[in-house]
Amino acid sequence: MFGLLEESGFQRIRSAVVPNFRFRKIATQNSAEAYGVKAVMMTAEKPGGD
Amino acid sequence: MTGSIEAQAGLEGEFKDEIIRMYQNVADNPEGEFHFFHGRQAADMFAYDAHSLDEAPQGAVASFAVVGNPHLRSNVQPGDTVLDLGSSAGLDAIIASRSTGPTGKVIGVDLNPSMYLKAQAHAAASGSGMECHEGRMESIPLTDESVDVVISNGVINLSFQKRKVIEEMFRVLRPGGRISITDIVSAK
Repeated sequence: MFGLLEESGFQRIRSAVVPNFRFRKIATQNSAEAYGVKAVMMTAEKPGGD
Repeated sequence: MTGSIEAQAGLEGEFKDEIIRMYQNVADNPEGEFHFFHGRQAADMFAYDAHSLDEAPQGAVASFAVVGNPHLRSNVQPGDTVLDLGSSAGLDAIIASRSTGPTGKVIGVDLNPSMYLKAQAHAAASGSGMECHEGRMESIPLTDESVDVVISNGVINLSFQKRKVIEEMFRVLRPGGRISITDIVSAK
């Protein structure tokens, strides 16, 4: 998603992993970890402001 | 080629129906068990302000299904126009409206027609002047450069057209506008 934001023209892109995110069901969480699934917070700006 | 485009459109349609069904189920049966945390438990997990949660319509809190807290870095200011993309039952929009104040505005857009009506009812109950629209995040029903901040919480990953969603966020933002989103990504 970082790359898509950049390609769409966003600037000052920042991302961080959401620390407490996990799935409630253990089987789902295990699958998520196997696929490298994580929750992230992203901020970015559209250029052109003052 | 045409066949594969049709196949993807068919799959996208089925997926859309499944998304509507799943989140409708959360809203209609908030006491139910799902593969994700929801309700007050999820909000507490992601450090939502307890006072805001206590004051919000409890129907909006109970059906809250999210992956993080976009308010932590949204820096919404009084007078801002905020778009909540995938507003569901309206809790994130109601919380954002506390920061915009009466001179600002929060607009919720959701795919599910009954969900945006629910958000509208919750917003009215909370005294928030939230404006709700039924719409798709790949075609946001707002004019160009009409929004100061876009928040979104766990919905962009559900789109088959993520590039289009991001281009749409860029389109509706004013120059200098910003996004604060939380979502699921996969490293593989």
